[in-house]
Amino acid sequence: MITPAATAPLRRNELGWYLYGVAAAGEASAPLARLAAGGAQEVELVAEGPLVGVASRVSLQEFDEAALPERLRDATWLEEKIRAHEQVLERVLEDASIVPCRFCTVYRSEVELRRFLSERREALQAALDRVRGKVEVGVKAFIDRDRFAVAQAKQNDDIRQLETQVSTAEGGRAYLKRRRLEQRVAAELDGFRGEAADRLHTRLLAAAEDGLSLPLQAPELSGREEEMVFNGAYLVTADRAAFEEALALLGRDFRDDGVDLELTGPWPAYNFVPEELGPE
Amino acid sequence: MSMSEQKTLKQQVTLLELVDRVLNKGVVVSGDITLSVADVDLVYVGLRVLLSSVATLEEPRERISTAGAAL
Repeated sequence: MITPAATAPLRRNELGWYLYGVAAAGEASAPLARLAAGGAQEVELVAEGPLVGVASRVSLQEFDEAALPERLRDATWLEEKIRAHEQVLERVLEDASIVPCRFCTVYRSEVELRRFLSERREALQAALDRVRGKVEVGVKAFIDRDRFAVAQAKQNDDIRQLETQVSTAEGGRAYLKRRRLEQRVAAELDGFRGEAADRLHTRLLAAAEDGLSLPLQAPELSGREEEMVFNGAYLVTADRAAFEEALALLGRDFRDDGVDLELTGPWPAYNFVPEELGPE
Repeated sequence: MSMSEQKTLKQQVTLLELVDRVLNKGVVVSGDITLSVADVDLVYVGLRVLLSSVATLEEPRERISTAGAAL
């Protein structure tokens, strides 16, 4: 499908290589056939020494730097490429460890791709060693304000008294009491957020190889109406048993306070690879 | 909300979860490559584009305004 470089000079409208990630040569040989059979993406393994680049040939015109800003405004294009990127990495992850690359890492030629794999061999192998046999999982915690208020009324005498006053008062007085109750619950919630996040992260980190506390997402991103109080990423052994046990225990502890935990993944270890891997 | 609309929303949510990782994390290769993603705030651009497409599926006005505020 590509004109051999020997017979034709490389032109801008020819094919380049989109690099999804880097794996160890021995580990990542198996998924190739399956990826190709999947049909959605023609994925190839470019072997260079002990490493393989998991890559697809792509049109350089489509991925050209000059065309990027326009492409990024196209939601359909963006979604298709993001899903393809993740899909390929997830397939490889079934059998091999992988260092995921950032979206749209595109080389002009196989020579350049190979040069990267060879020149950055040590750093890539170190990154690969760190994630070998492990996957990333995400843990988010959401708080339901109503359930939190109910829990507070059980635990906190002041709040319980305010609730009684709200239920027995009438008219304007009931309104004022209700406002005081709401303010009191909100104040408790302010303290609880940080405390819950600290407790979750400490206990999950103890059950993982590594972990990070990530910025909280707005409801538009989380897709849930409840407020997010914690967003963490953890590097865990591929079987995940110890981690999931710790998570289940935490889930039970926090449920009574109106907090629900959400587990995502397994993901390629996006959060646990070096951000920058340029020339030395 | 119908089943199909629910499914669409769920797919979009997964997509937004993906954006956070695929566009924001992973090894950035600097040097002689076609795209210099490190110089582009991909997450900002990507979320704007994708959120507005989610917003179109949902209650248009309200969602767009809150999405804008979140960014």
